[in-house]
Amino acid sequence: MWQNLREIKVAMLFGILIPLLSGCWDSKEIEQRANVLAIGVDIASEKERKKEDEISHLSKKFPIPDEEMIKVTAQIAVPGEIPLGPQQPGGSAKPVLVIEVVGHTFEDAILNLQQEIADELFLGHLRIIVLSEEVARSGTNRFNDFLRRNPEIRRTASLVISKESASRYMKIVPELERIPSLYLADLVDNLSSLGKFPPSFIGLFWTIYSSKGQDPYLPYLEIKGKSSIQLNGLAYFHGDKMVGKTNPLQIGIFMAVRGIGRGGYGAFVEVPDKNESVLVRAVSRKTRTKVTLKNGKPHVSIKIQYESEIDEKESASIQLSDSAILEKIEKATSKNVKASIEKLIKSTQKKKADIFGFGEHFRGKLPKYWNKNVKTKEKWNEIYQNVTFDIKVDTHIHRVGMKSK
Amino acid sequence: MGDPKEITTLQATTILISTIIGVGVLPLPLFAVRAGETSAPFVTLTGMFLAAIGLVFITSLGIRHPQKTIITYSQDIIGKWLGRIFSILVIIFFLILTSLTAREFGAVVVTGVLRETPLEVTVIVMLLLASISCRNNINVFAYIHNLYVPMILAPVLIVVAFSLKNANPLYLRPIFFGSDLWNMAGGMLTVAALFQGSFIITMIIPSMKSPKKAIKASFWGILISGGLYLLIVIATVAIFGPEEIKQIFWPTLELARTTAIPGNILQRLDIIFLAVWVLAVFTTLFSSYFFTIHSIKELFRLKDHKVLSYFILPCVFFLAMAPQNILHMYEIIQFIGRIGLLITILYPAVLLLMDFLKSWRRKRNVAKSS
Repeated sequence: MWQNLREIKVAMLFGILIPLLSGCWDSKEIEQRANVLAIGVDIASEKERKKEDEISHLSKKFPIPDEEMIKVTAQIAVPGEIPLGPQQPGGSAKPVLVIEVVGHTFEDAILNLQQEIADELFLGHLRIIVLSEEVARSGTNRFNDFLRRNPEIRRTASLVISKESASRYMKIVPELERIPSLYLADLVDNLSSLGKFPPSFIGLFWTIYSSKGQDPYLPYLEIKGKSSIQLNGLAYFHGDKMVGKTNPLQIGIFMAVRGIGRGGYGAFVEVPDKNESVLVRAVSRKTRTKVTLKNGKPHVSIKIQYESEIDEKESASIQLSDSAILEKIEKATSKNVKASIEKLIKSTQKKKADIFGFGEHFRGKLPKYWNKNVKTKEKWNEIYQNVTFDIKVDTHIHRVGMKSK
Repeated sequence: MGDPKEITTLQATTILISTIIGVGVLPLPLFAVRAGETSAPFVTLTGMFLAAIGLVFITSLGIRHPQKTIITYSQDIIGKWLGRIFSILVIIFFLILTSLTAREFGAVVVTGVLRETPLEVTVIVMLLLASISCRNNINVFAYIHNLYVPMILAPVLIVVAFSLKNANPLYLRPIFFGSDLWNMAGGMLTVAALFQGSFIITMIIPSMKSPKKAIKASFWGILISGGLYLLIVIATVAIFGPEEIKQIFWPTLELARTTAIPGNILQRLDIIFLAVWVLAVFTTLFSSYFFTIHSIKELFRLKDHKVLSYFILPCVFFLAMAPQNILHMYEIIQFIGRIGLLITILYPAVLLLMDFLKSWRRKRNVAKSS
């Protein structure tokens, strides 16, 4: 049958190649994966704590972590129910499944979760992690280890703080989008491209948390009404613990000090000599931060240049018809902004949370001072309380819209 | 070597570039930052200079002996037996280097991407690929490198360019941190060790059209690959800051994971980056494998290297499997890398010195007798 050696060789080659056809070890069909889209983390209540089974450890047989137990609420995509492209009518089935589990640590909870799910959990599509304020105040560092170690987690996923319990965010049904977690994630991403929030994702949070001269910040969300979510401020941290939050307008102030160019917030400014006000919206800003030592004590001078626009005036009694009045408004705006900046800085100083990263300026620009007096993050936080500031704000209003008066 | 002398200066340059850029791209920022904190770019630069000096030694040796490689001319310079002993050391070093490259590749793939695939499989596939390709002669070797160079350089530059959007220049200051000079010197050696692939130039020179131009090829080779390394270090440090980098095994990979092409086209670039990086690893592995078998061939004066290519495969594979875990592996890599500097820099330097002395004495003798 075999006419010559060559044919035998070819046949043998095919024989060798057959095992390769079985393909990749890691291949997995998409419907066999449980894609976790969002995760919410709360502190577990007394009742929920008792639900824990012996999955990753036998009860009381391991040194139980000091931290309180957490409740993890996961939103998992149901295969085939996520609409791709245009909406088809009559999609009545729920696109996501929401499951709650408890655990001592993050990975512990994920293991417990896997025990309840038939398909393998896949975290590569995790878009947003919601931490309840309670969890954030008791420290976020306990989650970071797992999230950093796991190669599936994206560094660009969002991390947010919620006023209410995080599990409510997992169950909320927004009207604008079929998949709740995508709406949540888009909310955070888009607000930051609209200039409503500085860039914020989990990788940036880690980077800032690691750096010696800055403390991290995160978006702070609040549920309004039945299914509406509002960006209610900026949560700021001391180390890995949340210590306070700002109001929404202060986010704009924070962005100005941080030197983020894109402006988005508008504020009412009282027109001098009149009891009325106009709405001035920041379009862009330029910030220059200078750090010096005054008698051996750290001193920061900030110069901010605003480009603004007048969006609306409150009443007809204001005449926006000559440049003199604009100049007055500019001055008033600058004064307001300066006062707000001072207030915001004061409140962060009280909480020892240098979210502006002034410490990084000192570390980078005055290395001698830093190496002699500071060196560590804890030390910097102590020093930050007594840093003196010198703030200059300059506003330019170039446009007033389509109306001439 | 019996092959026609067809390798141009450009080809020699591309061989150097694609050989130098390899697995080391991924942990490079970590090594540099561990040594110099914010002065990581400076550490990289000094490492590059050290590597360049070594390359100058080996290239000028090659130019002085345009028909021979380090395996053969070392026997002329320091005597037959001493030369052979050192050649064996060189071969063993490159054998280990090859296996460690394959192993580091496997480690990254298993932890980062293909988590179910056994480590042995990724390593052996890469080694098989290199050993099969090594059966070709040096001209094909040059073509393969030439083909891959643009594919290696472009995506890395793209990742760096898009990532700079999130950069914070403050993380790069102060440029001279200089608190621990010994630590910085150690880092310099580690970085210089990443350039060890450039030793391949000694194999190329005998096949070059004009060996005199080898120094030009070396210069451009180290400038482009070193420039790329420097760019990567600057970009990662500016984005993550030194403290964060210390917590990441492969900062460059993390950089690609954080970087998105605007407009939701690609939300993370690590897949593209890894695909390219596989090419970069392959070319590096290919070169060191090629160097190893051709050195053995010349040492034992064999006629053909083709069989040898499969013969050393099990040996390389078992060496690659030797490290117990990833931490152990990086300890070995740093240790071997520094030992290797003795072989790739100090040894050629000594050879060059003796060669100079010899020719100087010969000239004097000639002058005396006339």
